[in-house]
Amino acid sequence: MFRTKLPTAALAVSATMLCALPAKAETFRWAGTTDPQTMDPHAVNATPELSFLNNVYEGLVRRGPDMGVQPSLATSWEALPDGAGWRFSLRENVTFHDGAAFNADDVVFSYERAISEPSDVKSWFANVAEVVKVDDNTVDFLTSAPDPLFPGSIANFMILDAEWAAANDAEVPARDAENHATRNTNGTGPFVLTSRDPGIRTDLSPNETWWDTAEHKLSEAIFTPIGNPATGLAALLSGEIDFISPIPLQDVEQVESREGFKVLTGLETRVIMLGFGHDHDVLRYSDETTDENPFLDVRVRQAVAQAIDVDTINRVIMRGAAEPASQLLPEGLSGFSDEHAMRPEFDPEAAQALLAEAGYPDGFSFGLMCPNDRYINDEAVCRAVASMLARIGVEANVNAMPVRGYWDELRADNFDMYLLGWSPGTFDAEHPIRFLTHTPTERLGTWNFGGYSSPRIDEMLAPIQQELDPEARQAMLEEVAGILQNDVAYVPLYTEPLIWAMQENIDVVQRPDNFFMLRWVDVN
Amino acid sequence: MAGFILKRLVQSIFVMLAVAFLAFSLFRFVGDPISQMTGIETTAADQERLREELGLNDPFFKQFARFTGDILHGDFGYSFRTREPIGDMLLTRLPATLELGTVALLISLIVGIPAGIYTALNPRGVMSQSILIGTLIGVSIPTFVIGILLIFLFGVQLGWLPTYGRGGTVEIGWWRSSLFTIEGWRSLVLPALTLGLFQLTLTMRLVRAQMMEVMRTDHIRFAIARGVPWRSIRYRHALSNTMIPVITIIGLQFGGVIAFSIVTESVFQWPGMGLLFLESIRFVDIPVMSVYLVVIAFFFVLVNLLVDLLYFAIDPRLRVREST
Repeated sequence: MFRTKLPTAALAVSATMLCALPAKAETFRWAGTTDPQTMDPHAVNATPELSFLNNVYEGLVRRGPDMGVQPSLATSWEALPDGAGWRFSLRENVTFHDGAAFNADDVVFSYERAISEPSDVKSWFANVAEVVKVDDNTVDFLTSAPDPLFPGSIANFMILDAEWAAANDAEVPARDAENHATRNTNGTGPFVLTSRDPGIRTDLSPNETWWDTAEHKLSEAIFTPIGNPATGLAALLSGEIDFISPIPLQDVEQVESREGFKVLTGLETRVIMLGFGHDHDVLRYSDETTDENPFLDVRVRQAVAQAIDVDTINRVIMRGAAEPASQLLPEGLSGFSDEHAMRPEFDPEAAQALLAEAGYPDGFSFGLMCPNDRYINDEAVCRAVASMLARIGVEANVNAMPVRGYWDELRADNFDMYLLGWSPGTFDAEHPIRFLTHTPTERLGTWNFGGYSSPRIDEMLAPIQQELDPEARQAMLEEVAGILQNDVAYVPLYTEPLIWAMQENIDVVQRPDNFFMLRWVDVN
Repeated sequence: MAGFILKRLVQSIFVMLAVAFLAFSLFRFVGDPISQMTGIETTAADQERLREELGLNDPFFKQFARFTGDILHGDFGYSFRTREPIGDMLLTRLPATLELGTVALLISLIVGIPAGIYTALNPRGVMSQSILIGTLIGVSIPTFVIGILLIFLFGVQLGWLPTYGRGGTVEIGWWRSSLFTIEGWRSLVLPALTLGLFQLTLTMRLVRAQMMEVMRTDHIRFAIARGVPWRSIRYRHALSNTMIPVITIIGLQFGGVIAFSIVTESVFQWPGMGLLFLESIRFVDIPVMSVYLVVIAFFFVLVNLLVDLLYFAIDPRLRVREST
């Protein structure tokens, strides 16, 4: 009996080897500067966490390589009559990594988890009144007001298994102390978390039972956070890692000049801009102008906009990788105003004339607050802005500091002008209007540090959020863009680049939201 | 002897309290942990609730009392960043730092002491001069530059050694060691060299100076006059007298090696306590920073105590005084 069995077993082995041969086992090693704080998809609403967890968990919808909204755990969705909300039809025969079936109860549970007190993703559901399970494969999200963009706005709302969370006491996200979901996952996504060593390394392996067809050929993916840029670069050049994001702009040439490596440079959706203290009566960091705030005069703000040569900043400091910006969101995103796509023209003489007209022919000095470790070459950009303003007689005292204390300073109004980068989480023009331009309230205008206020914009925010007719909506967005440009509420400078570096045989998809999706990694 | 040790340990508690107090009062200026822990869309009310929950709104002394009280109960608290228990975090990171520090120290002793003796005995030799000049370069270049140079030479250009991390590790209970695999040792070489180079120079110069000093003392002259063999004079009589101050300094330096491995760990992404501390500063992870500093203070006290005990072993005079 034994004798006859042996050759069959040997045959079986060689057969599997033959099958396995075309799909060569590939271990993919990648690095980033920041380790995700947690593996809990509802605990922190920030790019490092959401980007990483999108490989493990999935939402009802997902975004494709071009940011387009695609079906994911929902196969289709439709607006309920009278703008009452949205109905999602769920995908059938999807299982979580532990084998449990996915159904409507998990969606309802995940929603409740996401709006629970310790959750950090509550803002996605500000407009949702109730989530109702219609049947096992249908869920209604009932909104308190019509919300035409709702499906796209929950692309990062990831679904957990209700039973798994209950069994492991992870029904709400961890806040002060960790819980089971902080280091363990159970998603439906293309990759399974196999080990997690916070700050050191995190291992993933492909989900063999994923509902979608895997396009990658990876057999294993290992993430290592490398905080020091020089170390990360060395790890890439020595071949120890396959991919790193980001690398410093100044290292791009070095990587590109070497055989076997390539750099992928694209635009992120983040616009870098200057903000003013619109509600400050006086300058706080001026050497001589201490009884008034010249920036309250729109001509002075206009002068600032015209005195800054963004093309030069882009060429010299950003090595041409950025793109000058005209609005609070980059060109190409939904709601971008084509009517207002022109930046204010660089014209120091006109700027000087505006200053004289406003009563400051000899200029004045003020304080420019700036982070020095948040955006690409942020401090250098501030210094360049300061030297350009000096040419029209306005002297900026640059105060650059690490980002860990920066927001506090801005919230405490410790600035006359400040640098800010904004990436619209919903990829729509409504997002910066809501956070940066609405008069600050408990929920709205929460990043409007300068207290810019326009009654017309405040009045239009709700209609913009609720308008179902795309043309009518766009008309309102055009109007807002016009008001912001006329008021020079902010001075948009440029759209920040994304700089990813990798071995030559690696192909990836660089999405403008700086998410890194393992399922699109191709190893040649 | 037991009384001496006990007295020292009691003293160490005061040292740690003082360090914790200083650390705590400084951390308020590092930044705001809340804006690091939450996303951009989080409302001010939610941020405030979190701040309240973490006790960040409490008066300074209340926070400090709570922190020390918890530590005395053996509760190190939780990290703001990863929400892990800090005790666990430090335990996973401690072996990496200790192994790195120990190997660095060993390198500095194994190379530094013989080199010191050699340069002391042959002060005018070409070899001695070049060693001295070479090590001068070693102390003049900052650690992170040396680290990056070594990485680019041996990691990138030659491709002999890994550029980051710990390589293969073996777990012995909770102790994660890189001393039992070839990969582990390969990863250890560059960071240990980088960290040990300064110590090496220091040890060498110290041994050299002491040795030259001792060689001029009367008892060595008498020994020479008596015709004691050179070998015995140098390595028995002179060297043992040289070693007493050297051990003090080296012992104290070991505390420094552990504490200041931060830079080396960052350059080599070495997952030790120093790297953890650096990450914690970047994130304003106040509990982790506080506990780290207290642990490091304890370490210094412990090393000092060990140095004192070593004195007893090396210097017979102390033992005599103790027994009388």
